[in-house]
Amino acid sequence: MIINKENKTDIIKASILTLLYALFFSTIYIGERSVIYISIYCILSVNLSVLIASNIKSKKEVYFKSSLIKKLIVGFILGWIMWPGFGELVGPIIGFYLSSKKKVDATNFSFQKYAWNQFKKNKIALVSLYLLGTLILIARFAPLIANNQPLYAVYKGVTMYPAFEDKKTTVEIKNLQTGEIEKLQYDITDWRKLDLESVIFTPIPYSVDFFDKENNDYVSPNDKQEFTNHKGELIDSPTRFRHHLGTDGKGADLLSGLIHGTRIALKVGLISMGIASFIGIILGAFAGFFGDRDLKMRRVKYYMTLIGLFFGFFYGFGQRKYAISDGFSQSNSEGMIEFTISILIILGITYIFRLSSRLITNKWLSTEISVPIDSMVSRGIEILNSIPRLILIITVTAIMDRSLTIIMVIIGITGWTGIARFTRAEFLRIKSLEYVQASKSLGFSSIRTIFKHALPNALAPVFVSIAFGIASAILIESGLSFLGIGVPDDVVTWGSLLNLGRGNIEAWWLIIFPGIAIFITITIYNMIAEASRDALDPRLKS
Amino acid sequence: MLKYTLKRLLAFIPMIIAISLIAFIISINAPGDPVESLTKAAGNEGGAEKQSGTAKKDKQKLRKKWGLDLPLFYFSVSDMASCDTLYKVQDRDQRENLERLIHEFGNWSAVNKYYKSLLELQKEQQNIDIESMCKQDTTLDKNKVNEALNQIGFNIVGLLEENKKELVNGKYEILDKLISAETYFPELISPYKLVVKKRESLSKKSTKWKTYIPSINWYGINSQYHWWVFGDLFHSKEAKRKGIIRGDFGVSYKDSQPIKNKIWDKVGISFTLSLLSILIAYLISLPIGIYSAYKKDSKIDKGISLVLFMLYSLPSFFVGTVLLLFFANPDTLLWFPESGIKDPINYNPDWSIFNWERIQHQLPYLVLPLITYTYSSFAFLSRIMRVGMIEIVSQDYIRTARAKGLSENKVILKHALRNSLLPIITVFAAIFPMCVGGSIIIEVIFSIPGMGTEMFNAILNYDYPMIIAFFTLIGFLTMIGYLVADLLYAVVDPRISYK
Repeated sequence: MIINKENKTDIIKASILTLLYALFFSTIYIGERSVIYISIYCILSVNLSVLIASNIKSKKEVYFKSSLIKKLIVGFILGWIMWPGFGELVGPIIGFYLSSKKKVDATNFSFQKYAWNQFKKNKIALVSLYLLGTLILIARFAPLIANNQPLYAVYKGVTMYPAFEDKKTTVEIKNLQTGEIEKLQYDITDWRKLDLESVIFTPIPYSVDFFDKENNDYVSPNDKQEFTNHKGELIDSPTRFRHHLGTDGKGADLLSGLIHGTRIALKVGLISMGIASFIGIILGAFAGFFGDRDLKMRRVKYYMTLIGLFFGFFYGFGQRKYAISDGFSQSNSEGMIEFTISILIILGITYIFRLSSRLITNKWLSTEISVPIDSMVSRGIEILNSIPRLILIITVTAIMDRSLTIIMVIIGITGWTGIARFTRAEFLRIKSLEYVQASKSLGFSSIRTIFKHALPNALAPVFVSIAFGIASAILIESGLSFLGIGVPDDVVTWGSLLNLGRGNIEAWWLIIFPGIAIFITITIYNMIAEASRDALDPRLKS
Repeated sequence: MLKYTLKRLLAFIPMIIAISLIAFIISINAPGDPVESLTKAAGNEGGAEKQSGTAKKDKQKLRKKWGLDLPLFYFSVSDMASCDTLYKVQDRDQRENLERLIHEFGNWSAVNKYYKSLLELQKEQQNIDIESMCKQDTTLDKNKVNEALNQIGFNIVGLLEENKKELVNGKYEILDKLISAETYFPELISPYKLVVKKRESLSKKSTKWKTYIPSINWYGINSQYHWWVFGDLFHSKEAKRKGIIRGDFGVSYKDSQPIKNKIWDKVGISFTLSLLSILIAYLISLPIGIYSAYKKDSKIDKGISLVLFMLYSLPSFFVGTVLLLFFANPDTLLWFPESGIKDPINYNPDWSIFNWERIQHQLPYLVLPLITYTYSSFAFLSRIMRVGMIEIVSQDYIRTARAKGLSENKVILKHALRNSLLPIITVFAAIFPMCVGGSIIIEVIFSIPGMGTEMFNAILNYDYPMIIAFFTLIGFLTMIGYLVADLLYAVVDPRISYK
């Protein structure tokens, strides 16, 4: 971090503003009063803002101020959509960072801009992008779109906002005349049948775990649907409460299942490919950048690294296996904390061993040797590719507990090979370019050269591979749920809905609609991937 | 050519080792104790029998027979405190509990003494004869005594298998009450006191530091992994099993039949279907790819591309179910039978493979599965064919051929086609595992009695040896697919050197 005379005032201003914002966010907005949380928020955001503000070089230019407000607001909204509760804090800071970056002059040629223009020419791909945005919105607002708890309801003089509150909330309503107390638990109550004075239902008044007892035997979308109103009369279902896409055998609404399934489909695609691209990009970058010959270290350091890794794994995983398994049996977050501690132990021990190699000055041990990192990664990719992926995933899920997290992790761990290959190829090309050579000759460390100079230019083709990967991850997850061996039974996904249709082939709506949902999502991702590949392919440039 | 083949074969060895290792790791992590499952499969499992001597001996025999009393791998990495013969402890839960105790206290001899004292207590408890006790002392309430004894037995088993601190403490409280406070069983008091003493000495003699020092134990070829892969190939002793290298995958948990008898014909069905569908896919996709590359950027090409793209994105399970819904459904169209691969009534098992009548009988059953199998790889192949062809057509030698005045047909079919075949052959290596993997879903949809359905049933029945067997087998067969693709490539492309 460089703090000098010129940017001192900027940094002070920015940190004070962010501090105030973080305080406002934690105490007023989310009502968090615990000192630890407030201080974490404050420290984090002040640090970030100082980091960003120290790099502002362009604050005098006109666009900076105009884009700052815009980007702060967009950051807030996007942060709220992506990660409510914390995104609102991080989003504006990211917006601040983006607006602080020097804008490329409009007349200059930039590859990103060129690629984006190329992408925009493909109308189908553009529509796909909008559709993806719509899907994300649907997934984000699923509880407000399909929910059996109304958005707003007045019952016997009590005003409630059930859809916005925790579904286990219980409200006690006292009848003024008789003195009886009526208890309403939000998720159990059948709101449709209450004599509500005033009500706003969600567009689809059914949740995934709400079972309509009158229409519980595979009711088709155009069949007669029954409904008991609050007077106890059995009537034809009013359009408001019709199941527009039918129900399954238990009476759960299909449309609601599809909407909530969007969440899981997108989550599976994003998280599993996040894991895969993390592994793939790092391994591919190292393999491509260093090749078999360029990663040189003293022989003793190489051996010490290997010994350090051995000890690291021994103390990190062997010694702590019970701590990790106990953590995961308590809760996922507890387990992740233990797991992170183990990783830190491994890194620390390896680092200590590498440091200790400096003490040894034997001549033979000090000769430089090269580490064949490219061969190692390539063999790893070959081995993983030689096993049919779906079979591997099915086998592993068969011996594990059924859980969505495990499936996402497995898909991620088996899916990095394509990304690694693309990154490696791109790094092979980039490493001989002038700017990488320049950064090398300036004496920057390899890590800095890789992640700061080379990686941003290598990401474009990798992005295509990630987009294809998301499509195949969604496909794999829905295939597993279709077989009924993927997610637990109480999680509703598109695949599990289709599975219900396979069990009862007369219920065509349970086959067609989830299938179309899967198909559309996969097509969207494939379209975007295909169009961006065309846009990024330099051969089409002429 | 021979040299090239041998070279490729050598390159596959690490992959085969990796596959077998992954399969082995998965199999030893499968939940439950293998011997318990095997005895359950043999049908002699009973609550009372669990502790009896004969059942225990049977289990020991089984364990020996399947080599489960051996160490897992050629070597093991553990810490100094742990005992290198721990794998001999029979019960899986007890073994894990012991491991944990050693990890906690770091003193194997103390843990061993504690464990032995517990076993002694259990033995004493099992020796108590309530009938004779009641005869001697008629004032005793038989039911009460019986219940107390059962309680004690239950808690001792719990102590042997449980390692959560609160639960263990709770169990000791109950035992305290049952053994020391009530005086039904005076013979249990002294062994129980020994147990308590040993438990105290556990924490007194704790040498936790030992767990921080790593140690490597070498077991040699007498290990579970070696038996699993090679069987008695390198042993002159009595035959335990033959090893997967000679097709022995152990026995199924479901009916304790040898797996190798059960799977070979299933594998045959699945692979025939996969290969047949790949063949059909190649046959259809070649002309489509060539045609749309030839008419590049025309309306037909764009239409074909879009349709192929859509097909490529359609999940196969959706297509399969929709085909069933429309063409094998009494409500819509009953053109094809719903499930299976042969006519249950008119089918004659003596028919040879190419018998016309047999084909006639089986064809309707195969149409829908084959469509489902074929279409995704066909879309994939056509797209690759098209791209490859477009690239080839812009090459110099094609321009030369045209300049020579050759007819367009000759240019495309003779000069361009051969070269554009190269990428499509490489793709075989990618399509083959895709097809085999997809076969699980498709076979389940159409109830084809092949490998996929069998694997699916094995998963539903927790039949782990079966799952592992299929996994290993598919891995090996995929390897063969890769080899075939490599060799084909070398045959077609003279630029690849055989040396």
